[in-house]
Amino acid sequence: MNEEYLWDKSGEPDPEIQHLEDILGGLRYQPKPLELPTDIQPHRRNRYLPLLAIAATLLIALLAGVVWLRLQTHAPAQKLEAVNEQPSVPSSSPSPEAVVPNKPEKVVQQSIQPRHRELVASNVRHRTQPAAAPSKEALLAKEQLMSALRIASEKLNLAQRKAQGPTPNQIRNQHKIG
Amino acid sequence: MKSLFHTFPRTPLLVALLVVLPAITARAQDPRIQLTHLDHLATRASETVDLNFDERLILAAAKIFNDKDEDEAQIKKLITGLKGVYVKSFEFENDNEYSSADVDSIRSQLREPSWTRLVNVKSKKDGNVEVYISLTGSQVNGLTVISAEARELTIVNIVGPVDLEKLAKLEGKLGIPELGVESTKPKTKNEQ
Repeated sequence: MNEEYLWDKSGEPDPEIQHLEDILGGLRYQPKPLELPTDIQPHRRNRYLPLLAIAATLLIALLAGVVWLRLQTHAPAQKLEAVNEQPSVPSSSPSPEAVVPNKPEKVVQQSIQPRHRELVASNVRHRTQPAAAPSKEALLAKEQLMSALRIASEKLNLAQRKAQGPTPNQIRNQHKIG
Repeated sequence: MKSLFHTFPRTPLLVALLVVLPAITARAQDPRIQLTHLDHLATRASETVDLNFDERLILAAAKIFNDKDEDEAQIKKLITGLKGVYVKSFEFENDNEYSSADVDSIRSQLREPSWTRLVNVKSKKDGNVEVYISLTGSQVNGLTVISAEARELTIVNIVGPVDLEKLAKLEGKLGIPELGVESTKPKTKNEQ
């Protein structure tokens, strides 16, 4: 047996080895692309699915936030619009006494009427108008906010005066408020 | 994503903590105090003032302040950025209509480090006044005043960045009567 042939195919070939080469030659490695059977569909894993899920979640959260914000901004605007439609309300600034009574009831009644729902659309148009008279509710809010600030300021000054101790001028000039 | 959770099995827990902890921290630093404990006093009081302004109402009110008017412009500047103004005040016909437990229910919410007591004046004759501020860094982001007199209990809670000096100067503006000390201007010779 010529071992040189087995080593580097030099020398005289052995017929038995040549026979084996002929038999096994068909199974030799052939550099060709893999061919899958047509009846088998390769399972393609979508790498973008998790990213799509994240994007969808963020989008839903964003939409929910926008809807929530719109609801928050529309709710007071609807109430203000409803109050503006009261025929008895003067356009100029009314006195606080005229504003206070029964105002919350009016707002509630307006908000539960079906007709009021249509105001959502018209409300957008009204809000774009440059100059609108302040509504009763806004005026009431301003008056009450002033009252709250008055009390806060009064109590803060009271604490300051008490902390500093009484002075003759202070006692003389104190007067009852309200 | 799946591999992330497999690689770091505690990732869901960390994500949950990252979501929940800031909310808890924000809640803990919220300078709004609960005043509902005092609602039962309304039945005994001869006069009750209950004013609740959240951020939305403050914004609505701020829109109608006249910027051209100096006083209103100052007040608008003062309330800009506030998250809430809450006032409860009870006036009673008789003494001792409220208990120290009522005041303690408020005082217990004003603990350090969130709150710092700025003023504490105790007087058997004139009642007690306490001023608390909530600080974020050097910024005042909350104010609470407890004024407990014999026949009057007033709690003021302001949430948000508040300028104490401007708030104190508010007396005397826009019909707000001034209780303060007469200004000590040097008198001229003619006045003397």
